[in-house]
Amino acid sequence: MAMGPVALTQTDKTGSFTAETSTGQPLALAMQRLWLTGRIMPFGGRLLVHHVFRSDATTPVEAVYAFALPRDATLRRFLLSGEGFRVRSELRPTEDAVHEYERGLERGSLAALARTYRDGVVNLTLGNLRPRETVRVLLEILVGVEAHDDGYRFRFPFTLSPVYHPRARTIEASPGQGEMELPEDEFGDVLLPAYVRDASALHAVGFDLRVEWAGAVLETGSPSHAVRVRQQNGGARVFLAADKSAPDRDLVLDVGGKGVNPAMFAGADAEGKQRFSAFLPSTSFGRGSAAPRQVVIVVDRSGSMEGAPIEQARRSVEACLAVLTESDRFGLVAFDDQVEFFNKHLVEGTRKNRDAAHKFLQKIDARGGTELTQGLRAASKLLASGGDVFLLTDGQVGGTEDIISPAAQTGIRVHCLGIGAASQDRFLAQLARSTGGVSRFLTPRERVDVAAVDLFAATGRPVASEIDVRGATVNPAPPSCVFADTPLMLFGENLAEAGALHVAWKGGALALPRESAIRCSGEMLRLLQGARLIADLESGFAEAPANFLARRRERRVNARLRALSETYGLQSREMSLVAVVEREGDRPGELPETVVVPVGMPQDVRFEAYFPGRQFQLMGAAGAVAKAREAWLLKGVACAESARLSEGVPGVSLEQTGQFLAMESTDSESRLLQLCLDIEPDGGMPGRSVADRALRTLVVLLAFLSDGHTPTRGAFRAHVTRLLEFLAALDPGTLTAEQAGIVERAVNFARAGKHPEGEWLSLAASRSGSWREVDSVLPAA
Amino acid sequence: MTEKEFSLAELAEQAGLPARTIRYYISRGLLPGPLKAGRRAAYSEEHLRQLRRVAELQAQGLMLAEIARDLQPAPARAPGAMAWWEYEVGDGVRVLVRGDLSPWRLSQVRGAIAEMTARISSRDEAEGRNDGHGSGSFNAD
Repeated sequence: MAMGPVALTQTDKTGSFTAETSTGQPLALAMQRLWLTGRIMPFGGRLLVHHVFRSDATTPVEAVYAFALPRDATLRRFLLSGEGFRVRSELRPTEDAVHEYERGLERGSLAALARTYRDGVVNLTLGNLRPRETVRVLLEILVGVEAHDDGYRFRFPFTLSPVYHPRARTIEASPGQGEMELPEDEFGDVLLPAYVRDASALHAVGFDLRVEWAGAVLETGSPSHAVRVRQQNGGARVFLAADKSAPDRDLVLDVGGKGVNPAMFAGADAEGKQRFSAFLPSTSFGRGSAAPRQVVIVVDRSGSMEGAPIEQARRSVEACLAVLTESDRFGLVAFDDQVEFFNKHLVEGTRKNRDAAHKFLQKIDARGGTELTQGLRAASKLLASGGDVFLLTDGQVGGTEDIISPAAQTGIRVHCLGIGAASQDRFLAQLARSTGGVSRFLTPRERVDVAAVDLFAATGRPVASEIDVRGATVNPAPPSCVFADTPLMLFGENLAEAGALHVAWKGGALALPRESAIRCSGEMLRLLQGARLIADLESGFAEAPANFLARRRERRVNARLRALSETYGLQSREMSLVAVVEREGDRPGELPETVVVPVGMPQDVRFEAYFPGRQFQLMGAAGAVAKAREAWLLKGVACAESARLSEGVPGVSLEQTGQFLAMESTDSESRLLQLCLDIEPDGGMPGRSVADRALRTLVVLLAFLSDGHTPTRGAFRAHVTRLLEFLAALDPGTLTAEQAGIVERAVNFARAGKHPEGEWLSLAASRSGSWREVDSVLPAA
Repeated sequence: MTEKEFSLAELAEQAGLPARTIRYYISRGLLPGPLKAGRRAAYSEEHLRQLRRVAELQAQGLMLAEIARDLQPAPARAPGAMAWWEYEVGDGVRVLVRGDLSPWRLSQVRGAIAEMTARISSRDEAEGRNDGHGSGSFNAD
């Protein structure tokens, strides 16, 4: 293999793979197969994407494959191969690359161009693919990961999410196939794919990856795909369990290991220069302060959130509000193309306000566009005296550069909880990072509410601030704050031979000696650093700015982007990859047919949220179906589609089905969430008397503890802390001496991080449990 | 007098569009293919005029799929493609909504109509002439 030392565990086995529809008829596809291989480390991954193009058309084809870049990702190069040729791409200024591609096409040669547009959308264009010719494009791509203290999440988009943009236009161009167009003055000549409702007949996708951790990989799983895992030399090989999958969702992989001490990875790059990446888990710093906080929760209620995502978001917000104390102040904003406030000012976290917020939330249904900037602006007005924004969104919005840059200027930290099957992870990661916050991205089929509670516990409470790094050159600059469960990750060079990396923060410091470093490929470290720098710069600045000052700034940014691209040998908006292959029998001037490779509508996004069937409304026959759907609408059922309804109970609306499912959920996390909602602002459970409240609070505390949550660990750590605060603050005079003794022992038990025996969750849920039962499970004083 | 002929690159420059976009338009039937095939493939002023027509139609809010459809010889197409949704929001009250609104605009309007329907029917109930919710029907004029 001509391309670098990336471990390849699997290559394409099928040369002339042809997709079939459900009827067994072969489908004319320009791209048949997309396979992902490569290696992922805690600080990022180096991947090879194998594209197999083959056309059954009778004339030459120009195939365009549009895809979204993952988090912190950049392309490095590609290898174009076919019968009798194998050619590497060249990195050229975009204008030159396009010119080179066009000249190749004019000569009748095979030409390929990879170019990045706004929002990290890439068009890989392969021109003059001859009838029945098979051409492979092997694309090398550097990607970032969502790092956690004890593992990481990796996402790779197999489909491109449609996005909201006020000037975007959409149409159902043929049955079950939607098209979207973005304004050319803002987005250039980017070609977007057709979105197909049923992705099963599209190109096959799959993966075979090696994942590693600072120690042994203990756990590997995927909420998106059925995977098989083989432990190998401390790492693991993860591959698709089926022989292929459909391009209708991201690949999401979770890799977990033992929580580690601060670690360093180091090695020499291709030029012999020592590079490193430092990984400092949040637990290496202090604990978050318990000072009152000011948080505005911003909920995306745009049409694309309809169904599971908005339901998940609502439940998440309620669970988060239960953590607030009376001295905390909160705001609640819901936005689509309009902004709605729960209250025009921040309010205290009292029971009354929380109940009112609950009522406000119940009215929040998914509907219009995604004017995220307006939502964030509204939140920043509420937070005039500083604070944090907690944003729940699917991030399905176009022109993201115009959102990130004003958000970064407000000085307010934005923490993002993304919900979706098709990733806008790159955008939300940048939005959070550029404002000093943290971002997580979940699929709608996961426990979003638990992740929300976990992230919310860290919101507004950094475990370290005023980070200062010495002893080496670190680039990009470290963030100002570190939050619970998000490690501090650094890339750098020039660390002295016998030296150490010194990290200091307000109230602490530590040193990471170079000799402790885990050895790894310095070249990979160099490339990932470059990819990060390019992604950071690119996502903060839009192309084609409106005014003179912005244009001048754009020129500076573009010059920097180009310099970064040249230094690291990586693609950016300013530099593209191109390759031209002269084949025997090339016929100059032949005009290929341009086809865009379609992708699947992302799982869990309703097709109609973007493509309302404009064309078919114009035809009489479909009118009856449309009319039936409209009738539902007028009865107040949120866009209930007959196909979806048939999966539920006949005659029951989607909304009711959702409630029905919520009631049915009997897993421990659902039951804990239910308990959370009852926590009073003073941290205790409700009750008739102080003693009654104390007993209920004890039982609920034991329920959380028995499920593995402690004041410092688990998603519900903030709730456990609130319960403990209530118990510790109880006036012993209001209890009997025996009761006061039990409370004290329970508090000590919980603070020691211990877990009780018994069915405490059931007792808490049924509001039973006695002082004697509590007494019996606690160790004697 | 013969019309001027262009190469694809020249046509692209004249029209201010990338060559790939022009190829895409030809593939989608928005623009006829070149006058001659092969090494001396050529495009005419008519191609340029057609590209300007496409740009105008786009500026009016039409999508490529719609423009392509309009360019097809379509004898059976009903005159006046504009379609309207008709909602009966109450006894003797009807609302017309343009059928080609963007999805987010449409759902916003539907929300307003549902509210209006609820308000009118609650008043009707109070006045004792409840005839239920309005139902949508569809007219193409």
